[in-house]
Amino acid sequence: MANDPPIVIETRNLTKRFKDVDAVNSLNLKIRKGEIYGFLGPNGAGKSTTIKMIMGLIHPTAGAAFVNGRRVSGGAADIRNAIGFLPERISFYNNLTPVQTLSFFCELRRADKCVVPSLIEDVGLSEAANRKVGTFSKGMTQLLGVAQAMIGNPSVFILDEPMGGLDAMWVKMVRDKLKTLNEQGATIIFSSHILSEVQSLCHRVAIVDRGRLVAEDTIENISSGLHLRPRLSIRSPGLKGKVPDWVRKVEGVEDAEADGDTLLITCAGDARLSVMTALQKGGLVVKDFRTVEPSLEEAFVKLLSDEEAA
Amino acid sequence: MHIALRPIYTIAKKELSDNVRNKWIVAMVAIFLTLTIASSFMAGRGQVGEMGATVGALMSISSMLVPVISIMLGYGAISGEVESGALSVVLSYPVRRVEILLGKYLGLGAVICISILVGFGVSGLIIALTTGTAQWGAYIAFILLTMLLGMLYLSLSMCFSSVLKRRVTSLAAGVLVFFLGLILGMIMMGAWMATGGSLEAIMTGDTSGIPDWFWFEVFVSPQDGNGAAAMLAFGTTEFLGFDMALPPWITLGTLALAQLIWTIVPLALACFFFQRRDI
Repeated sequence: MANDPPIVIETRNLTKRFKDVDAVNSLNLKIRKGEIYGFLGPNGAGKSTTIKMIMGLIHPTAGAAFVNGRRVSGGAADIRNAIGFLPERISFYNNLTPVQTLSFFCELRRADKCVVPSLIEDVGLSEAANRKVGTFSKGMTQLLGVAQAMIGNPSVFILDEPMGGLDAMWVKMVRDKLKTLNEQGATIIFSSHILSEVQSLCHRVAIVDRGRLVAEDTIENISSGLHLRPRLSIRSPGLKGKVPDWVRKVEGVEDAEADGDTLLITCAGDARLSVMTALQKGGLVVKDFRTVEPSLEEAFVKLLSDEEAA
Repeated sequence: MHIALRPIYTIAKKELSDNVRNKWIVAMVAIFLTLTIASSFMAGRGQVGEMGATVGALMSISSMLVPVISIMLGYGAISGEVESGALSVVLSYPVRRVEILLGKYLGLGAVICISILVGFGVSGLIIALTTGTAQWGAYIAFILLTMLLGMLYLSLSMCFSSVLKRRVTSLAAGVLVFFLGLILGMIMMGAWMATGGSLEAIMTGDTSGIPDWFWFEVFVSPQDGNGAAAMLAFGTTEFLGFDMALPPWITLGTLALAQLIWTIVPLALACFFFQRRDI
């Protein structure tokens, strides 16, 4: 479409083969300006390998990655001027303090070093500003990594498992940070194998498994494409994880599951009321009920098992 | 290929200041200074010895110590940072790999050259003030040759660091090449003896029977080549522990050229392999 925002990152038939394993297999992705793009898949799906190829850290066996229309290659170092990058399991120089570390990276990006104290404060590391990075916990190093990625106000952020290893409080901080950056116009690509991280944050997601693209779309479209439907969640004390036989025979009930004292019923949206009435008539104790939207977790599991079957 | 100087400078500065901060450079200056003064006293039998004699005594130690220091500084430069993950962050900045490699080479090279210059320079000054400055030119040549030896082994160890996956194997390869350079003279001597050479001839200073291929050793072993060049600079004739005259085609110029090739080729290979490496 003519009015779509421009493509910022693109991969064309991107392939990486390690010995006899296809880590990434003919991957075609398009990420547009201003998107928060989730890159999902189980561990070992090829997420990190793909990101590393976009960053020019790993050389593709075939295909290519493009940043702002320019092909990623050894000579084109300046295309990385636009990118803030957080690698998976980030590590810095142990003998430097955060101030020295960020000053070094400011120099490499030709950014003014006066932003260093505010970057450190931004991620809550002010108290450790003059401690050696070697003494940092995994989480603190990760936070310094987030600060590092923001040097020079890049327009694209590529983050490999940005919330990995962080406490809940810091996960929230990073999420809020990503949202703010996106509101200011930045394009954000981040990978995760924890779906709840992605669900409320991403405009679009790509799901990869064993190096192949399984789906690339909005979460709603992926869910509806899979015919995942909202479910009724009914709290019924005394259920103890068992679905009474008769429940499945109630008209309109397509599937029923029990989780502790919670009964989960899949049925068409317009059948919910009749199903509820029938259940109550049948003698089910209903303490409380609500509808549950399909989660990405379900979409994910279903997509991967469909892929396995195919 | 386009190369920007700014990132090279930034990375070189970091490597140098790392070694200033951790006092490595101070320790090295102290070692070189002590060694030279000790060698001088040894050569002068209890008094400050002359430059030529001092260098003769010093060289056997410095030609081992300087390569070892270079290998220690260079072996982790690439493979170590790939292993730790620190290089992934650096490479996400607008920096080319050649620039990183050159920056590291120049920064670590500066560490070596500064400590040699200060360590040998200050002690040279002390010797000159006590015994006279007759051989100052040769002494400067010796300092320059020692720096070259340091840069040579730094280039070799960084080459291994670029090619090999792990830090440990990079170190092992550096140490292996160091020992090969160390024992090559013995091997060649053995080969010559086995093919009809005579130890007695050498002992008596008769080098006419030594074949040309034997002398080629000084172009292959960086340590021996460097030592031979320093000898020529001072006009002494002791080689491999024996007094022997070098053939006329071995000059300071040809030896220095060989040492330069030994420096530039591994560095070029390091660039080549680092460019192709998956991080």
